[in-house]
Amino acid sequence: MKPAPFKYLAPASVEETLSMLTQYGYEAKLLAGGQSLIPTMNFRLAQPAVIIDLNRVSELAYMRPGDSGGLCIGAMARQREGEYHPLFAERAPLIRETMPHVAHPQIRNRGTFGGSIAHADPAAELPAVMLALNAGFKIRGREGEREIPARDFFVGMFATAMQPEELLTEILIPPLPPRSGWAFKEVARRHGDYALAGAAAVVSLNEQQRCREARLVFLSVGDGPVEARGAVQALAGEIPGEEVIRAAAETAAAVDIDPGSDIHASAEFRRHLARVLAVQVLHQAYERARRA
Amino acid sequence: MAKWKPLERMDFLGKAYPRVEGPDKVSGRAKYTQDQAPAGMLYGAILTSPHAAAKIIRIDDSKVRQLSGVKAALTDVHPTGTVRYAGEEVAAVAATTPEILADALELFEVQYETLPFAVDIETAMKEGAPRVFADKANISDARVEEEGDLEAGFAKADVVVESEFRTQVQVHTPLEAHGSLAMWNGEELTIWDSTQAVHGVREGVANALEMPINKVRVICQHMGGGFGSKLQPGRYSAIAARLAKQAGAPVKLMLDRKTEFLGVGNRPNSIQKLKLGAGRDGRVTAFSAITYGTAGIGTNAGVRLPIVYDIPNYRHEHYDVFTNAGAARPFRAPGCPQAVFSMDQIMDEMAEKLGMDPLEFRLKNDANPARQQEWRIGAEKIGWAKRNPKPGSDPGPLKRGMGMAASIWWPGGRGTQAMITVYPDGMVEVRCGTQDLGTGTRTYVASVAAEELGLEMAQVRALIGDSDYPKSGASGGSTTAPSVAPAIKNTAEKTREALAEIAAKHFGVSPAQMEWQKSTITVKNSPAKKLGWKELCSLLDTEPLEVRGEWVEGLSSAGVAGCQFVEVAVDTLTGRIAVEKVVAVADCGLVLNRLTTESQINGGVIQGISYALFEDRLMDPHTGTMVNSDLENYKISGSIETPEIEVIIYDEWERGVIGVGEPPTIPTAGAIANAVYNATGVRLREIPMTPDRVLLALAKKS
Repeated sequence: MKPAPFKYLAPASVEETLSMLTQYGYEAKLLAGGQSLIPTMNFRLAQPAVIIDLNRVSELAYMRPGDSGGLCIGAMARQREGEYHPLFAERAPLIRETMPHVAHPQIRNRGTFGGSIAHADPAAELPAVMLALNAGFKIRGREGEREIPARDFFVGMFATAMQPEELLTEILIPPLPPRSGWAFKEVARRHGDYALAGAAAVVSLNEQQRCREARLVFLSVGDGPVEARGAVQALAGEIPGEEVIRAAAETAAAVDIDPGSDIHASAEFRRHLARVLAVQVLHQAYERARRA
Repeated sequence: MAKWKPLERMDFLGKAYPRVEGPDKVSGRAKYTQDQAPAGMLYGAILTSPHAAAKIIRIDDSKVRQLSGVKAALTDVHPTGTVRYAGEEVAAVAATTPEILADALELFEVQYETLPFAVDIETAMKEGAPRVFADKANISDARVEEEGDLEAGFAKADVVVESEFRTQVQVHTPLEAHGSLAMWNGEELTIWDSTQAVHGVREGVANALEMPINKVRVICQHMGGGFGSKLQPGRYSAIAARLAKQAGAPVKLMLDRKTEFLGVGNRPNSIQKLKLGAGRDGRVTAFSAITYGTAGIGTNAGVRLPIVYDIPNYRHEHYDVFTNAGAARPFRAPGCPQAVFSMDQIMDEMAEKLGMDPLEFRLKNDANPARQQEWRIGAEKIGWAKRNPKPGSDPGPLKRGMGMAASIWWPGGRGTQAMITVYPDGMVEVRCGTQDLGTGTRTYVASVAAEELGLEMAQVRALIGDSDYPKSGASGGSTTAPSVAPAIKNTAEKTREALAEIAAKHFGVSPAQMEWQKSTITVKNSPAKKLGWKELCSLLDTEPLEVRGEWVEGLSSAGVAGCQFVEVAVDTLTGRIAVEKVVAVADCGLVLNRLTTESQINGGVIQGISYALFEDRLMDPHTGTMVNSDLENYKISGSIETPEIEVIIYDEWERGVIGVGEPPTIPTAGAIANAVYNATGVRLREIPMTPDRVLLALAKKS
C-alpha cells in the first residue's frame, strides 16, 4: 500500500517547525519516528495534507540529567536509547525496564519518546509509564512555552491537551522520592504485540515502611493510560503486604477501570488481567521500595 | 527395479550440506517474483469486492482511465457478475507507480446490489440461512466412510468417551504474496509467477487466455513459500497478462496482504463430534465421527478421520458447509491437523478412563511398525517418565505438562522428466521443470546428480523453475522429492551409460567392459586404460552431451509415520501457554539432505504451534468480511514463541525417498492440547488455545 499524496516539509529547528505548524495547523501531521504514522498513511487510514518531518530538528534529540536527580528527554530521542543510556538505568529505571516490551528493537531504533507520547495510543506503554512517573511535558507554541503534567496531558483516545500548532519538545522525569520502588508488566499474545493489558506501578514508603505515595497505571484498558486512583487510596498509610495489595488490585480491576471489548480480548478478560498484573507490579514495586 | 547405492557409500545424500542458493538468498541476489522489475514495467492491482455477496450492477472506470499514469484497466474480470465473498476480483488496473495505482483503485465506481450472506459456519447451517449458491443447499450431502460393524464394536466396548472438538480457519500466509509479472513479446507470453507449479500455471494461463500452450512460458526461480495455496493458477496471472497486453508493457501484479488473506486459500475449520469405545484390555473397538467444515465457496472441508490408529469398526459422516468466504485450498496436510487435534485428545481421554499411560495405550492401538519405534524414541527424548503423574498437580500458578500426538502421510512419487547436459569442459547442467518452494529442491537436484556422477556439487548447475524445462508436477502433497530425485538419478545413470559408450569407443572395447569409480572410468582389468572426468568430457569435442531421463519405480516410496512430544508451561493467572520443548520424530526413507529435511520439520512444528495457539481468521457476521486481515492482527507464531525443537529423523534409507514436508505439522496442535491437559487438568477442545479460552476452561473446572 502507498500513501495518498502529501506535501513534505523538513524543518531544521524548533522555530521553523512552529511557524510551519502555525501556517498549516490541522492540515499538518508531525513525523517523528513514523512507526505509527507511516503505516496508517500507507493503509490510507490517515491522509494528512502536509507532513512536517522532525528528523532534522537535532536540537530535540538529547537526554540529559534534570534537576536534583531527574531526567530530561528531548522529544526526538530514540526509544532504543532508553534501554542502553546509563542515565536511564540511574534515573529512570522504570523506563528502562519497560522498553523491551515496546514493540520490537527495529521499531524502537526509529521510534521516539515524543512521538509515542504525542500519539497517545491507549495500548502504548510509554504514556502509562509517564503517568506512573509523574512526568511533565514541555510544550512549545508561537505564544511561548508551557508545561503540562502527564495526568492532564492524555485526554482521550489518540488525543492530548496540545493544540494543533503546538509541539512537544521535552519530557521531564522527576526524581523518585527515597524508598521508592517501581515495576512494569504486560500481557501480550506474542512478544512485541500491543498488550492485551499492562500495568506500571511506583510505590514510595515512609520511614515506617508504610506506603507514603503510590501510582498504579494501566494501558490497553481504556481510552488512554488509566490511573487506578481508588486502588492507590487503599494503599495509603498501609504496609503493602499481600492482603493489602490484593484488595487494591481488586479495587483497580473492579472500580478504577472500564475496559472495552475488541477482537483481541473481552472486557471481562482485560479486567482479569488488570487484577493479575496489579498484584504483580504492586508487589514488585513494594519489594524494591523496601530494599531501596 | 532401480536402487540407490547403500547409504554408507553416499557422498551427499543422507548428509547435511548447505543450500546451493543460500548465498544468493542471504545477499539479496536471488530474485523473487516480487523483485522483478524489467524496464518499463507497470504495477498492477485488483479491485476486490467489499461485500460478501452482491450482484455487480455497473463498473465505471472512466475516472480511473483519466488519471495520469494509468495505462490499462479491466472491468470484466469477474466471470459471473455475482460476487460470493468479500475479496473477490471485480476490476483491475495497471499504472506507472504503486502510488498512482493506489489512487486509481479509489477511482473505480462500482454499483452493487448487495445480497444476504452467511460468513460463519453456524449461521450458514441454520434453517433458512441465506444460500451461498442459489441452486445448492449450504450443507452438502453426507459423505460417509465406514468399515467393520460399528454397533458390534461399541457393544464390545467397556468404556465409551464422547467429545466435541473445534478447529479454526487458518490462512496460508506465505511471506511472499501471490502474484505474477506478465511480459509479452509479440504473441508470446512470459509469466514470472510465485507458484508451486510452473507447468500447471502454464496450462492454466493458456486455457484462461485461450492461447496455444507453446506460446506461454512460466518461470519461478525463487519463491517465498506457498504451503499449498500456490498449487493452482490464479486469476491474477491471466489478469496481469491482459493488463500487459492492453498497456503494451510488462505488468507486475502482486496481491496485497488483505487480498491474500481473503481470496487465495485457507485451511477449512471443523466441528467434530467424536465417540470412541475401548475394552478394558486397552484395545479400541469402535469409533464414530460426525464432522462439519467450511471451505468457503469451495469444497473439500473434510477432516481425515479416523487417522493413524488401528480401529476395527468405524463410521465417519462428513458435511461440507458453504459460507460466503474465500475458497479453501490445499494447506500443508489437508484435513490432518484437524483430525489429529481431536483424535489424539480423545485417545488421551480414553487412556485416562482406562487408567492407562497414554503412551502404552497408543502402542497397543498403533499398527505402524515405524511409529512403534518412534513413540518410544520420542518418549525417551522428552523424558516422558518424569511427566506430571497427576494432571494439574504442580504447586503455584505456573503448571507444566507433557503431551503427544501422531503423524502420518500417504502419497509417494510420480512422473517427472529431467535432462542432463555434459559440456566438453566437464561442467554439468541438470534441467527439471520442478520448482523450489523453499524446501531445498534446487539443492538436491544438484546433489543427486553429483552423487550419481561422482562429482562435486560445484560442478553441477541445477536449473529448475521454468516451464521450458522437462515436465514435473506441482510441488504439493509432499510428492516433490519422491518425484524429482528418482528422475534426476535415472537421468544421471543414463548420462553415465552414454559417457561409458563414448569411453568404450575411445578404447575400442564394448561399453560393458567399462567400469566407473567415482567420476573416473576404466576398462575392466586394464587399470592403465582410464579416463578422468575432464579427459572423458573432452572427448565430446565441441558437442555437449544431452541425456533425458525420467521417474522410475524403486527409488521412492510412500507412507510416513511420525510423532511429536511436547512440553508446555501454562500460566494459570494469565492463561498464556508457553511451548517449551518439542521433540519431533519423523521418518522419510532416504534423507536427501539432512539440513533441509530438519529445516522442513522445524517449519512444520512452528506452523503447528502457530495453528494451536495463535492463528484464527475472524469474520465479522455484520459486515461479512475478515476483521484481522493483516499481520498485526492475524497472529503468527514468531521467533520468540518458538521453543527448542529436537528433530529426530528415523532413518530407513532402504525405502527410498519419501516426502516429509507435510507430516511434521500434523501432530503439534494435538500434542500441545494433551500437554495443556497434563499441566492443568483442563482439556481445551478448541483451537487456537488463546489465554482467555484457557482461563475460561480453568474457571469452569473450579
